[in-house]
Amino acid sequence: MTQDRPAGAEVFAGGGDVGRDLLRVDWEQTPLGPPQQWPQSLRTAVSILLSSRFPMWMAWGPQLTFFCNAAYRRDTLGRKYPWALGRPANEVWAEIWDDIGPRIETVLSTGHATWDEALLLFLERSGYTEETYHTFSYSPLRDDDGALVGMLCVVSEETDRVIGERRMATLRDLGSDPSVVRTEAQTLDFAGSQLGRNLRDLPFTLTYLFEPGGVRLAQATGVPVGHPLGHVDKWPTEVVARGDAVVVPLDGDRPAGDWPEPPDEALLVPLLQQGDIPYGFMVAGLNRYRALDESYRGFVELTAGHVAAGIASARSYQAQQRRAEELAELDRAKTAFFSNISHEFRTPLTLIMGPLEELLTRADLADDSVRAELEVIHRNGLRLGKLVNVLLDFSRLEAGRMQARFEPVDLANATAELASVFRSAVERAGLTFEVDTPPLREPVHLDRGMWEKIVLNLLSNALKFTFTGGVRIAVREEAGVATVTVTDTGVGVPTDEMPRLFERFHRIENARSRSNEGSGIGLALVKELVELHGGTITAESTFGEGTTFTIRLPLGIDHLPAGAVTSPSSTAAVTSGAEPYVQEALRWLPGAAPATPDLPPTTKAPATVLVADDNADMRDYLGRLLRSAGHIVQTVPDGQAALEAARVRNPDLIVSDVMMPRLGGLELVAALRADSRTAGTPVLLLSARAGQEASIEGLEAGADDYLVKPFSSAELLARVRANVELARLRNHHSRWRTALIDSLQEAFFVCDEDGVVIETNSTFTDVLGFGPEGLPYPPVHPWWPDHDTDPAAYEQVAEALELLVGQTRGNYTIPVQHRDGHRLWVAAAFNQVADPDTGRRVIVGTFRDVTDEHYAVQRESALAALSVRLSQAESLPGALSGVLPELGELWQAKRVHAAVFNGSGPPTLVTTDEYARWDALTPERRQALTDLRDKPLLTPVADEPGRAGIALEHPDGTMVLSLELREKRPFTEQDRTLLALLAGHLGQGLHRIHQIDEQRETALALQRAILGPAQLPVGFAVRYAPATRPLKVGGDWYDTVTLTDGRIGIVVGDCVGHGLEAATVMGQLRSACRALLLQNTDPAQTLTALDRFAAQLPGAMCATVFCGVLDPATGDLTYASAGHPPAVVARPDGATDLLDQGRSRPLGVRAAADRPEAHYTVPVRATLLLYTDGLVERRRQSLTVGIDRVVAAVQQGRGASLEELATDVMDSMEPATGYDDDVALLLYRQPGPLEVEFPAEATRLAPLRSTLRTWLARCGVDSTTQQNVLVAVGEACANAIEHGHRQLPGGLIRLRAAATAHTLHLTITDTGLWKTPQPAANPHRGRGFALMRALMSEVTVTTGTAGTIVGLQARISR
Amino acid sequence: MSTPLTCSTGRRPDGAVVLTATGEIDMSNAAAFATALTSADGESDGAPFVVDLTRVEYIDSAGLAVLFPHVDRLRLRSNRLLAPVLTIAGLDDITTVSEES
Repeated sequence: MTQDRPAGAEVFAGGGDVGRDLLRVDWEQTPLGPPQQWPQSLRTAVSILLSSRFPMWMAWGPQLTFFCNAAYRRDTLGRKYPWALGRPANEVWAEIWDDIGPRIETVLSTGHATWDEALLLFLERSGYTEETYHTFSYSPLRDDDGALVGMLCVVSEETDRVIGERRMATLRDLGSDPSVVRTEAQTLDFAGSQLGRNLRDLPFTLTYLFEPGGVRLAQATGVPVGHPLGHVDKWPTEVVARGDAVVVPLDGDRPAGDWPEPPDEALLVPLLQQGDIPYGFMVAGLNRYRALDESYRGFVELTAGHVAAGIASARSYQAQQRRAEELAELDRAKTAFFSNISHEFRTPLTLIMGPLEELLTRADLADDSVRAELEVIHRNGLRLGKLVNVLLDFSRLEAGRMQARFEPVDLANATAELASVFRSAVERAGLTFEVDTPPLREPVHLDRGMWEKIVLNLLSNALKFTFTGGVRIAVREEAGVATVTVTDTGVGVPTDEMPRLFERFHRIENARSRSNEGSGIGLALVKELVELHGGTITAESTFGEGTTFTIRLPLGIDHLPAGAVTSPSSTAAVTSGAEPYVQEALRWLPGAAPATPDLPPTTKAPATVLVADDNADMRDYLGRLLRSAGHIVQTVPDGQAALEAARVRNPDLIVSDVMMPRLGGLELVAALRADSRTAGTPVLLLSARAGQEASIEGLEAGADDYLVKPFSSAELLARVRANVELARLRNHHSRWRTALIDSLQEAFFVCDEDGVVIETNSTFTDVLGFGPEGLPYPPVHPWWPDHDTDPAAYEQVAEALELLVGQTRGNYTIPVQHRDGHRLWVAAAFNQVADPDTGRRVIVGTFRDVTDEHYAVQRESALAALSVRLSQAESLPGALSGVLPELGELWQAKRVHAAVFNGSGPPTLVTTDEYARWDALTPERRQALTDLRDKPLLTPVADEPGRAGIALEHPDGTMVLSLELREKRPFTEQDRTLLALLAGHLGQGLHRIHQIDEQRETALALQRAILGPAQLPVGFAVRYAPATRPLKVGGDWYDTVTLTDGRIGIVVGDCVGHGLEAATVMGQLRSACRALLLQNTDPAQTLTALDRFAAQLPGAMCATVFCGVLDPATGDLTYASAGHPPAVVARPDGATDLLDQGRSRPLGVRAAADRPEAHYTVPVRATLLLYTDGLVERRRQSLTVGIDRVVAAVQQGRGASLEELATDVMDSMEPATGYDDDVALLLYRQPGPLEVEFPAEATRLAPLRSTLRTWLARCGVDSTTQQNVLVAVGEACANAIEHGHRQLPGGLIRLRAAATAHTLHLTITDTGLWKTPQPAANPHRGRGFALMRALMSEVTVTTGTAGTIVGLQARISR
Repeated sequence: MSTPLTCSTGRRPDGAVVLTATGEIDMSNAAAFATALTSADGESDGAPFVVDLTRVEYIDSAGLAVLFPHVDRLRLRSNRLLAPVLTIAGLDDITTVSEES
């Protein structure tokens, strides 16, 4: 210890700044005086306070002098620091003394701790009256004597939590609007009803809307209608119109909300509108008891944001309504337009294609980009022409206007020529192409144009659905029928689709193909055309392996209409009609179109658009178009690619074709909606399928918009723009939702039915350290406690997870591990809900960090348990053996050692093990405990894992406590604080027990001194039972006084009352009586003198005393009684006497004459009983009855030894409920027992016999019995001399002889070893033993290591 | 100090040797008593002799033990006090209990 530190500094050591400031306090001016004079209990309390990291303050002494620690200073004290230190607590907390004063009063008067949760207190610590909430517990503090002298407050400030929860509730309620669609007025009414419920944060609000006619008050809360505050000219509207918030001071009449005083300021916040001037503004009256900090401002702004979003939503709903009506109108027009489709198309198409082909053939077309554009136009012109032609074919077929011209054709040759057109396309697709067309014997009558369509359609179809293998076309003739087969090794047709294969407009869903382009009319047309030829077409297919189409055409002309058969023409085998098929097929193949380069965006706020279309031209076209409008475009060839791209980088909008290979547009939408990351991404579907149903199907699937091909570029761009804006607006909601969830003070999470955490908020990250970047978190979650080091905690969390996924709602409190490893306790509540998008069951939960509360509860209960143990203990070792298991259980310790170093010698060890010795510990363990001793007191040490220890003061010296933890679990900061707290408490407790111990010892010694003689003369037995516990004395007494002439004064007395007061009177009376008796040796005179003494002594009046003087040699008794119950004598023959003479009044009652005196001779072997009335007096019972009972008890016990009799009398007289008054009794039997001790020498035998003979004579024993006893005792003593002490000369022999009514009891004790008598080996001694047996009624010999005891009994003849 | 015992030897009128003991006999003086007995036995010269214990107040097994070697030639005179002990020791057949003391 350094010498130059100021006096008392060690009390504040470890207190940091607060410790230093405490040291500066002028303690001399406080009732506590200088620290070096402080009691140990105060020093302990202060050091616990200072070493704790929990906010604590304490008050001590008559003025409740204030102390606090650094955490309290930081969290609560504010500007009152350091002024508050050392001041009376009611000055420090004057403003809340009405609240906390009574609580402290309670603690100090009852010793019971208080507990308040989130109590509202108005503190003056920040320069204004502040609304604060505290959860705290006041525990009593005791001084070294155990008196209540102060209190300790462990406090958690909960202001942030309470206010945060209140605000969050308002925001949550604002967002809880159950109806989807509302008008603006409904929205505002709803918001108003919610805001009106929080008049603490929003004492009043006024919501104004900017309208063409001016500013209108649309909603108000907390303000009555028509209140002057509602006038808009009070507010700086031009500032909020610019979108800025502004604080405005208030005066005049204004509502106060839920507070005693109204707001002094209001915050004006704009109701912001995306990209436009605000919708209006909100005036929020500000709670004067909270500063307008970032959180308060944020709350008001979020509130306003919500109102604005509600307005936006209401207005956008109206706009969408209007647009939906417009779209419906557009659709009707389009339907009409397409229904009017006719061959009129062909003319403009021809006029397009003609000049176009002209242009493409021109040699001066040097610009490649222009050529590329022209080629796109050309290809699509061809395709359009083809589609128009097919449609026309159908309409002609429908109308029966199809004019076929059948001419004889070399089928093999014509088919081969058509097939050759496809060769390059098939081979570019990496497929084999086999054309097997051997010449037929005769021509087949065909319409060349129609046949061309049949073959090309079949080949195109084969190429489209075949990815590996090849395509084969073969021609045969058999049995008058020409057969053409087209075989592929493609994807095949599922069996259930086969019957509908040739159905018009039927397409096989989900078939893997090179393109989803196609109208579904190809095969239907083929079938119609084949049938026009009088032929048939069939298909055989194995799904996954391939398909074979077989056309059978009859030979000859019998089957054909007569007018349709013509002679052969010279028309070329392959017409220009083949080109569109080939061109189309080529576009399906990879590498057919160059990759679309990403062009830089040209607008300032570009949207990212993902385009999915299997048609490369359409992809290119859409890409160019959207880029030209300033969007950032990515293109992909199918739905699957789109889904993958969207998952990598979520675009602002997806433009997708409906029909696509791998994953179609509708499936794409479904997949996007199912994934929370893309659920909100808007999708615009493009489709060639017109009509109401198609568009409804698309929208039902979750698409945001639907556009039917063909469409104008302007229309597409308009739709894209509208959808992007709408999405941004909508995303505003989701952003708002995210902001809301993130602003929750509670941690928030969503998990699926397997317990996989899929969404969290920022508080979640703050509490656990695990952020959204790690999502999803499947169980076992990374914040679970480690299974190996803390299996109990792990099990708790596992149970909680079971609850979470098994119950629809619930809550639990579990230990978890922060990412940085520290232990937390969180209280969670959860609810199962159905995800509105997917319908799946998800669990939404929140939790908060309750570590502080958890440890506060743990601390309280640990302290309580410790206090109970300490209060039960009656001694220091008892206290330790009670407390150690408690500590062990608290920390799940394997064992707990407590070693007390009390100066020299090995320390005293107490452990939770059944038995342990210091020297049985390992040297390492001993060293560790010794090291601990030298550490600062009350400072936990946890240097090695699995162990923790602390040193504290024990009344005998320094004590160290060492915990051996069951698991090698970390010993946390909370554990340390708790250990320090408990150790401090334990130290104080031990100190207190020690003091109580000492006090009790002192009290007992004093009481024994008051009660009676430490050494009774022989022949007496006494009993004493005080009525008042735990006192050992009461108002009764007994006494024996050996007088100078050898007589014995015997006294039994009874002061009025019982308890301590009566005992003090009794002590004085007893001493006085004793002194007087020694002087007077006369009972009557003694009592008379005692009367005078009693008159001087308050409380001594009416005491009763029986005082006698007994000559033990003769049994002569002189006695006098001062109002005392008569003594009882039981003679050996069973007759009884009551010593009821010599009676007079109780003490101090004025005596008219001298007190009388009586004489009695106690017969030999008679038993004399003196007692107080507590022994015999019973309610509702005459005293005589009690006396008769005690007489009978003595009479029956006259054959028992005095001690046995004393016990028997006390037991037999005791009421069932115990004695309710003090009882004293004194027994004597005449004569008293003989007790002689003499050296083991033969020469001592004769004097012994002489003494014994005299005593036996006093016992009234006849001469024969006397002689028998003398011989038996002589033999026993001779044995002791001869055998017991042969090797040990000079040893002592003790003889005790006592008489009962009919028996003599003699005991001869030596310190030697007797041998069992063996008459053969030693006839002489054997004879001695035989003599004893013969002469005595009972002989017992007990030989032990310490010596031999011979017991003899002889009956006394009557 | 030894237990008080005096022994005197004399002859009765019929010539029988009489050893008269007065006092108490215990282990402290049994040897002296034995010596007196031996001397009396020798004096009587093979004839029976008398040990008069009527004035002995106490005798225990140590005293009895020294009587036994002479029991063949011994006649005892005793008082009532000693009778129970002598009876128990099996000496009652050679003992005459005198009634006068």
